[in-house]
Amino acid sequence: MSAIIRRNKERFKTLLRYRDLLSQLVARDIKLKYRRSYLGYLWSVLSPLMVMVVMTVVFSTMFNHKTANFPVYLLGGNLVFSFMRESSSHAITSITGNASLLKKVYVPKYIFTLSKVTSDLVNLFFSLGALVIVMLATGVSFHWTFFLIIVPILELYAFCVGLGMMLAAVAVFFRDVQYIWGVVLTAWMYLTPIFYPVEALPDKLEWLVTRLNPMYYYVTVFRDYTWGSGVAWTGNILRGGLIAALMLLIGTAVFARTKDRFILHI
Amino acid sequence: MNQDSTKYAIEVKNATVRFNMASEKVDNLKEYMVRLATHRLMFQEFLALKNINLQIRPGEAWGLVGANGAGKSTLLKLICGILTPYKGSVSINGSIAPLIELGAGFDVDLTGGENIFLNGALLGHSKEFMQRHYDEILEFSELRNFIDVPVKNYSSGMKARLGFAIATVVKPSILIVDEVLAVGDAAFQKKCTDRMDAMLSRGTTLLFVSHSVPQVRNLCTHALWLDHGTPRMLGEVNEVCDAYEEFLRVPVSARTAPAAPKHTDDGRYDYLVVGSGISGATFAYEAARRGKKVLVLERRDHVGGNCATREEQGIQVHRYGPHIFHTDDRPVWELVNSLTPFNSFVNCPVANFRGQLYNLPFNMNTFARMWGVTSPQQARDIIAAQQGECSGEPRNLEQQAIRLVGRDIYETLIKGYTEKQWGRPCTQLPPDIIRRLPVRYTYNNNYYNNRWQGVPEAGYTALTEKMLQYCEVRLNTDYLADKARWDALADRVVYTGALDAYFGSRLGSLEYRSLRFEEETLPQTDYQGVAVMNFTDAETPYTRVIEHRHFQETCQSPVTVVTREYPQAWRPGLEPYYALGDAKNTALCAEYAKLAAAEPKTLFLGRLARYTYLDMDKAVREAMDLAARELK
Repeated sequence: MSAIIRRNKERFKTLLRYRDLLSQLVARDIKLKYRRSYLGYLWSVLSPLMVMVVMTVVFSTMFNHKTANFPVYLLGGNLVFSFMRESSSHAITSITGNASLLKKVYVPKYIFTLSKVTSDLVNLFFSLGALVIVMLATGVSFHWTFFLIIVPILELYAFCVGLGMMLAAVAVFFRDVQYIWGVVLTAWMYLTPIFYPVEALPDKLEWLVTRLNPMYYYVTVFRDYTWGSGVAWTGNILRGGLIAALMLLIGTAVFARTKDRFILHI
Repeated sequence: MNQDSTKYAIEVKNATVRFNMASEKVDNLKEYMVRLATHRLMFQEFLALKNINLQIRPGEAWGLVGANGAGKSTLLKLICGILTPYKGSVSINGSIAPLIELGAGFDVDLTGGENIFLNGALLGHSKEFMQRHYDEILEFSELRNFIDVPVKNYSSGMKARLGFAIATVVKPSILIVDEVLAVGDAAFQKKCTDRMDAMLSRGTTLLFVSHSVPQVRNLCTHALWLDHGTPRMLGEVNEVCDAYEEFLRVPVSARTAPAAPKHTDDGRYDYLVVGSGISGATFAYEAARRGKKVLVLERRDHVGGNCATREEQGIQVHRYGPHIFHTDDRPVWELVNSLTPFNSFVNCPVANFRGQLYNLPFNMNTFARMWGVTSPQQARDIIAAQQGECSGEPRNLEQQAIRLVGRDIYETLIKGYTEKQWGRPCTQLPPDIIRRLPVRYTYNNNYYNNRWQGVPEAGYTALTEKMLQYCEVRLNTDYLADKARWDALADRVVYTGALDAYFGSRLGSLEYRSLRFEEETLPQTDYQGVAVMNFTDAETPYTRVIEHRHFQETCQSPVTVVTREYPQAWRPGLEPYYALGDAKNTALCAEYAKLAAAEPKTLFLGRLARYTYLDMDKAVREAMDLAARELK
């Protein structure tokens, strides 16, 4: 037990030592994302906005829905899910994409995965601007619980770090995980109530989704805080936190066990 | 094992690096599953490095040479922590700056300035640190005007300059360079070598891979030659480079394969060395580091022969009488120092005659004390006058001694001591025991006249252990008890035991003088103030008293170990210390030597096998020469 504690203390110290590298890598991703583009960081806001407009038009005209404040409902869910989608997709290639570097310099390997997920988190914060704009535009009232969205966001961050690490490690050994993951993400999106209310699902499915889909927790809590009930605590927070912790543990364990063999396969 | 392993900058112990070369690349799920299901998941094991042992001391500069694919870059990556060893261990003491491809980690879309911070962070430096050295980097790389241009627009020379500047901005304690100086123009190369020279002169440890042997000779003090993943030779840089260049001259088809240490132990050795004294250990070291598989057999329960030391509360105790290394032979001195550091102990023994103390060897200090003279001329006059007592051919030792140094010195400092040693009066001893007696007309107490003198700080046993590090050693093993079995295990045998014992003493026993020691540990920090004190009067039963702590320059021990030496007549069974070089034994030795020369696969080395007295440095020299002749 003490060996485990000691090892994790070492890992933490290494992380601290390389914190400048982490910030450099995150800064690089952010700087390069919109460099040379005309609108620059404005795209972090415009892009989800435009998607939301399209989807709102589609689902309003093509499908009947009874959800109140559909644009905000849609956007909120979309932002959260996009973060998970982007960070996991970037994380998958974080090790294989930096192969040349890993073969030449000693860097703690998880830094690359962590930096990808963190850059996407920063991007999420930028796009919250879009959410605020839409809320103002549609006249949704702000509750004080809006500021509590940091809680589900952090839980989601932990979840995505764990997920990202696991995927990154697996992708080193089986490259096709990248392509399989695309399909998984699509299915996952349909199983998460982003553009439909959860009640629209058949009972059996609804039960499964509300219990077993981690994204359900994060999306729901996020929505509840932004414009919903104004209630500070729901059971979903606890469940979301537990799932996040579990994912983080599994992901880092898988990564830690296999990282010494990365160099032989990249 | 030893304390001084913490003093190494880099220590690689028995490291092996394994790669799995899949017979075909299996990097997707379908392939993997299919092969798993059809039991065709095969990996070919490829050992890129095998059993590497390397110890690099701080401040040393090591070059790595070898053909392409020998494992040089793999070894560097192992040391940098990029690869983990499949077996064995690597330990580093100090900060590493690796130069494995300059500009690794440059993001080509970022500007030069942004890359300075990114690259610095990759190497583990903080933002403030890079900020502080920003100007210095711009200065060195001469890129001040281009620092805001994206790196993808840089020429290869600019990238190299920037990379080198960033990597060497810190003053690391260990610098690792992998063939990076192959790029860049002559001016850049000069800048790099200048900077590396500056670092080396500050005491940075260097590990340098290059195909340019002249560059290695230039920069490095030691070298390691890797061949197909095994160390073929290591040691002093010119030696290794000479051998490597010699190897390169041989056409590829005619090259002999390296004698790699075999993995499957088929129980055969290239050399069997009998005896782990300084002669045997030196030979074993020379053979093993040229890639030979060596087995060393030792009869006692410790290595080192009569040079062996034992540690007692911080004092290195010379178990079999004082051993002081003194030599004029530079390669020998460098060899032993490369294994373990020697201090600068100078032997200035003191003679005690009935409580009166005199300096040895006979010099002006001695004469001043004895006669109260102050000038060398006065001393010469007295000695010349006393020598006159004995003219004509000396018929015994007493007459020989008086003829050389006069009666006073003889009576005080020679007579009692020699009679105790030999157990007979000096008038009954042959005169040729003392061929000459050194007399100095200067105030120099140094017993020896050699360029280098000293004692290993960690003790002679540590020296022997270092020499034997690449060999298999079996203690408590008597070679002669089962000679046929041991002989069958090796191609050649190097025997350092007693010459007559090898032949079962069938022509008779060679005779020796022996010694008896009485050791005592006293609870005080100084007993006699000097390492060696000779008792030259007949009344004291012992010949010498050795206080071991004085061999060490700084000894913090709260106790002191004192040994009294008593002469002892030898009989078979006692330790043979000194060969009795009289006519009878010399003739017998010559007879045995004829038999020895006729032995087909045995070589005889060392003081016992050659029945002679050998200073340690002569023993090392003879072993080195024998190894050189054998392993040519």
